[in-house]
Amino acid sequence: MAYKLLDGIRILDLTMVFAGPVATKILAELGAEVIKIESIQRADVFTRANVYPENEPGKDPWNRGCLFHTLNAGKRGISLNLGSEEGREIFKRLIKISDAVVENYSPRVMENWGMGYEELKKIKSDIIMVSISGLGHYGPLRDFYMYVPGMEGMSGLTYITGFPGEPPLLSGCAYGDWVTGAHAAAALLTALYYRMQSGKGQYVDVSGREAVACHIGEILTGYTLNKQNPSMMGNRHASAAPHSCYRCRGEDSWVNIAVENDEQWQRFCKAIGSPAWTAEERFATNRSRWQNQDELDRLVEEWTIQHDHIEVMQILQEAGVAVGAALNMKEVNLNPHLIDRGFFQIIDHGDGIGKRPIASQMPAKFSEAESFVPKRAPRFGEDDEYVFGSLLKMSKVEMEKLAKDKIIGGPPTFPRGRPTRTDLIEQQKAGWFDPDYLNELREKHGEDLGQHG
Amino acid sequence: MNEQAFSGLRVLDCTQGVAGPYCTKLLADFGAEVIKVENPQGGDGTRSTGPFLKNEPHPEKSGAFFYLNTNKKSVTLNLESKEGAKIFKELVKRASVLVESFEPGKMAELGLAPELLREINPRLVITSISAYGQTGPYRNYKATNLTVYGTGGAMYTQRPGTKPTARPVIEGGFQAEYSTGVLSYIATISALIKRDNSDKGISVDISAMECVTSTLMGHIAEYSYLGLSRRTSPFAIHGYPIGYSVPCKDGWISLTPGIGGAPNIAFLIGKPELQDDPLLADTRTRMANPERFDALLIPWLKDRSKWEVTKEAQELRLAFTPVLSPEELLEDEQIKAREFFAKVDHPVMGEVTYPGAPAKLSGSPWQAGRAPLLGEHNEEIYGEIGYTKESLAKLKKKGIL
Repeated sequence: MAYKLLDGIRILDLTMVFAGPVATKILAELGAEVIKIESIQRADVFTRANVYPENEPGKDPWNRGCLFHTLNAGKRGISLNLGSEEGREIFKRLIKISDAVVENYSPRVMENWGMGYEELKKIKSDIIMVSISGLGHYGPLRDFYMYVPGMEGMSGLTYITGFPGEPPLLSGCAYGDWVTGAHAAAALLTALYYRMQSGKGQYVDVSGREAVACHIGEILTGYTLNKQNPSMMGNRHASAAPHSCYRCRGEDSWVNIAVENDEQWQRFCKAIGSPAWTAEERFATNRSRWQNQDELDRLVEEWTIQHDHIEVMQILQEAGVAVGAALNMKEVNLNPHLIDRGFFQIIDHGDGIGKRPIASQMPAKFSEAESFVPKRAPRFGEDDEYVFGSLLKMSKVEMEKLAKDKIIGGPPTFPRGRPTRTDLIEQQKAGWFDPDYLNELREKHGEDLGQHG
Repeated sequence: MNEQAFSGLRVLDCTQGVAGPYCTKLLADFGAEVIKVENPQGGDGTRSTGPFLKNEPHPEKSGAFFYLNTNKKSVTLNLESKEGAKIFKELVKRASVLVESFEPGKMAELGLAPELLREINPRLVITSISAYGQTGPYRNYKATNLTVYGTGGAMYTQRPGTKPTARPVIEGGFQAEYSTGVLSYIATISALIKRDNSDKGISVDISAMECVTSTLMGHIAEYSYLGLSRRTSPFAIHGYPIGYSVPCKDGWISLTPGIGGAPNIAFLIGKPELQDDPLLADTRTRMANPERFDALLIPWLKDRSKWEVTKEAQELRLAFTPVLSPEELLEDEQIKAREFFAKVDHPVMGEVTYPGAPAKLSGSPWQAGRAPLLGEHNEEIYGEIGYTKESLAKLKKKGIL
């Protein structure tokens, strides 16, 4: 579900791939009008070209990539070549009628185009401009090339993630990009709130690496206090046990259990039927359990392995113990709690793809605000007519001329649509496939899901 | 002092731990007057959580509490007592925002249900942060950062590309909590913007499980569009060899050959004859042969340091980056040039250095400040609503403050 809180706010979105689109997806879910700008020469290829419905790229693969849909639903989309002088002039006309612009080009690009903050401010004095980059827009390393491993690795987060003795681990979900996008959205809203009070716009410089470092603030502060580098703790707690991820019955099935004090331990023991070892002296106190946790973890797993991970969650929750099954992507998509709360956005593609659930990027429920279901992500150049025709009042003739010069219009320059290598994923065990996924989803989300025709 | 976004905005903060305090810390760092309401028996539990200065447990020496509560004011109040709840309602009258992280139903139990609070302050924005939200079958589930990381789905993906069925390992620190904190901040400001335009208070219900699921982005859609349940990073596509850190002379380095081909690797490792080798030039060949790629790079990296390799690779437009420890982060020239770390004085801890702004705002900037001592602002805040020093002493004796 999404909510109309930012009615009347218009945001120009020059971002691509993950971090920037997360920021503007959050804003679109809050009801802002986000206009995503791509061009024939430069489309958001990485997300548009990855993971097609039913693994079929189709005749217009650029409109089918599911990563693009999940990060751009609810936005409008236009095609405008900012590499041309004419395109930049049109962009400046859009600035006049917009509240904010978000970009994630390499530092320098916007300035080289005469579209830096100082220039945009001359066109619209209260414009808010947000620049997103890996290491920030000034400083000696600002031109570093990096993706999510840089944002995580150079923040200190990777250094503390993993099992002792093993290589530090990159996040499984491009988390550094997500954090960057969330903080870019947060900063834009902070600037917007300030503009409501003061009438003033401003420039925002978001460094992904710094945003991620803020999410391990207590650990970095711990370092500055005592000058001791932290070590990787795996799944362990600093002072309590059992506290880990345990194997359950079935293939690749896991559960997280967190027992943080003696009272919880008593409840845990009772719930698992008080086997003899739970009464042993070495497990009697938080401290002794923590000291003997290699052995403790082994014994706890002897119990969890006998049960399905959902079963373990139910048994221990009933006893009031903090436990959470490590749900896989199928289980998340079909999760009764998430469905009950309206977490998923069921976006409608029509066109042979039908409806599909995608994850909300702004999962909050608001009272006193109108809710809505976001429209599917824009097809390439879908809103050219609305933006150039209705908003900028261009004539048909003018638009046709621009399209002929490839300044607006489509289709984008795009690599041949290639299916995902499902054989490699299976061979390398990077994931597994559920052949019945459409029926499974229909049972939970409705019959018109994934319908062809 | 610079103007700030939330100057003049008063926030009541009834949160503990990480998620709620991170949300209100951001509000405070951007100028809001945040009044943290702590229980008189020791306050926020984070005060007894490390890391501590000199590793000595002490309620005013926790680095975690410090970082998560900068720029706030602290009052003590026992909300479990009738008189405490009554005083709280007086504070509510003078606030714009309340952020709370009690278990669902607890506010109502204390006689402080959102509906009641809005009767006394119709424009109040109330942000309720919990593990599973205020509704739904899991709403009363017990949870910690570790367990919601599991149910949110992120845990399942936390494995190296090379070992996709190994035991998952949680992201370091408290990422389920921080994710929830930043989204709570976003939700709170959005509600404030709407309130200022409509004049009606708003309640916000935010769940940590859902925030964790949001961080998964494409993983969720890969199931609904393709039936795929992925076990690792999306960048570890078919063993695309960046899903893990590679050892070098003085630690670890992340290799990201780029979304396209990376023929420049041939020049980096001094084997220009390999530039047209599909292993380097073609993404899909590299993806299908992670072992061959490692065999080429790992021996070369063994004798070179992370910064030496990074700088050479960056010259060749290769996105190779070092894995930095906290110590190395503080020494990073970019971090220094941008003055990322802030320094402030604290009456008990002395000078504290801690991570600064998550984003640099030119017009209404983030500001440094210290965390409050427990109950440090009792006189100031309760004085405003008519309590004298003597009456406060009495309340303290009764265990209400």
